[in-house]
Amino acid sequence: MDYAIEGFQLAKSFAKKRSLKELVTRPFARPERVEALRGVDLHVNRGEIFGLLGPNGAGKTTLVKILSCLVLPDRGRAVVGGSDVRKENEVKPKIGLVHSDERSFYWRLSGRENLAFFARLYDVPGRRIAGRIAALLERVDLVDAADRRFSDYSSGMKQRLAIARALLHDPPILLMDEPTRSLDPESSLALRAFILEELKGRDGKTILLATHNLREAETLCDRLAILVSGTIRQVGTVSQLRRWGMSERQVRLEVSHWHEGIAGPFKTVSVERIDGVHRVTVALDGDGRLNDLLAAVMAQGAVIHACDRVESNLEEAFARLLREEKAKVTA
Amino acid sequence: MRSFLTKVGAFLWRDLLTDLSYRFAFFLQLGGMIFSVAVFYFASRMVDPATAGLEGIAPFPWLLVGIGFQIYFSTALYSFSAKVRNEQVLGTLEAMLVSPTPTSIVLFSSTAWDFTWGALRLLVYLLVAVLVFDVKLHVESPVALFLGIALTLLSSAGIGLISASFILFFKRGDPVNFLLTMGTTFFGNVVFPSKVLPPAIAWVSDFVPMSWSLHVVRGTLLQGAGLADVSSQIVRLAVLTAVLVPAGLLAAKVAIQRAKQEGSLVQY
Repeated sequence: MDYAIEGFQLAKSFAKKRSLKELVTRPFARPERVEALRGVDLHVNRGEIFGLLGPNGAGKTTLVKILSCLVLPDRGRAVVGGSDVRKENEVKPKIGLVHSDERSFYWRLSGRENLAFFARLYDVPGRRIAGRIAALLERVDLVDAADRRFSDYSSGMKQRLAIARALLHDPPILLMDEPTRSLDPESSLALRAFILEELKGRDGKTILLATHNLREAETLCDRLAILVSGTIRQVGTVSQLRRWGMSERQVRLEVSHWHEGIAGPFKTVSVERIDGVHRVTVALDGDGRLNDLLAAVMAQGAVIHACDRVESNLEEAFARLLREEKAKVTA
Repeated sequence: MRSFLTKVGAFLWRDLLTDLSYRFAFFLQLGGMIFSVAVFYFASRMVDPATAGLEGIAPFPWLLVGIGFQIYFSTALYSFSAKVRNEQVLGTLEAMLVSPTPTSIVLFSSTAWDFTWGALRLLVYLLVAVLVFDVKLHVESPVALFLGIALTLLSSAGIGLISASFILFFKRGDPVNFLLTMGTTFFGNVVFPSKVLPPAIAWVSDFVPMSWSLHVVRGTLLQGAGLADVSSQIVRLAVLTAVLVPAGLLAAKVAIQRAKQEGSLVQY
């Protein structure tokens, strides 16, 4: 399969900052190292939004920096757009980086002037720069603010300008590092809609999105990788990850009445009565089949109004994984 | 080449716009230059024109050319490291380095405005000196003058790149420039002729490149010297350039690679 981004056993560690005492007492000692990535394998399909989900310090930013040629891996190999990240001349024209750092622009220049400067760095031909900038400003809804100083922009506007910059050379791959981190809920929603509808829907970009925002990951990503302590613990679609780690399948029934024993051998997890209807969650553990459950309930004369599979949400799955990780460390 | 010049142009335009956005400071600097020339003029009137080492040049033009050109040459020394650090602090370095523009071009182009502004400042110094204080310039050999200036800038740029490599690697501390500036100002015939120093240390001046550069510039600009008159200094500067420029480029390449390996390219 032809992937847009691939990582093979990527590992990276950084020297730990030393205290003043250590610097004085052991000036020539090798500094301790902190492992940021420990053998990460990654395969991102073309045209998908792939989420990199993890708590702070999980190694998301390090991975994004390796993929954008800003940091070299200690071990392993990363291929972006078909080229090894060590060949940065080949990789850089194919990527656009959007990060959450508002300081990455010149604050005394206007949005348009900033884009014009970066367009030169991104090798946009001179005669096409003005048109390209105008089109991008319109797409990110910054036409009216184009000639205002960057310092006067709101956080949402700054982030939209960062997206416009990443699109200047129309790269097929976008690397986004927590793009909504500093945004208010309204701006976050608007930006997510833009990523989904415009960047993925209209442009068909491949997007690698590093985030610790579960809601964002759930809304945007086709597939997700959960990165904890420099290791990818799970990869899958959102619904696969939601189910991950659930010990039993559960269904939720809405029935006319309910009493103990009505479900036969199946375990009742919870019962609520809302507006005269019983909403019941039942566990289908082991070989228990849904047909058997429904047959048992109907045999008792109950009318079934609705039946849904209960899915764990991503938050629960993520919390479960972190608990496991913590237990592992403690052990 | 065209792409390189386009990028240099983009950096120049960016920095001009930034400087112009601080209009008051911009014009204050211009005013300050004119004032400094007046200070040099009156300070030099205290100096006896027969002082050893002035080589027949009046104290005012001697001092003006010394200080004016040292400031300009030091642009090459400081600009690379100052720009790297400035972009790191501003947070814009990462945005530039993720673009397809090679790091070496980013590094060179970043300093374009400093060199242009430095040349303009020098021109203002000389213009004020000529128009207001009646200094006579005799450029008989523009080639010699050009070679002197270009070779000094290039060799200084080599040291500047080594210094920028320190910044990329150690983030702070710029021992190369610190020592050089101290040494150059003291031994480089910048503010006073080395002949006024005690003989026990005056000889050091013969080995300080700034002495060679200023000998060429003063000779060609103020005394009508030709290429043959300053050829020995130009050869020395050329050798220095041939050593320092590759050394600077190598140092920058190693520092960038190490910083990428350490993940500290954009840290400050």
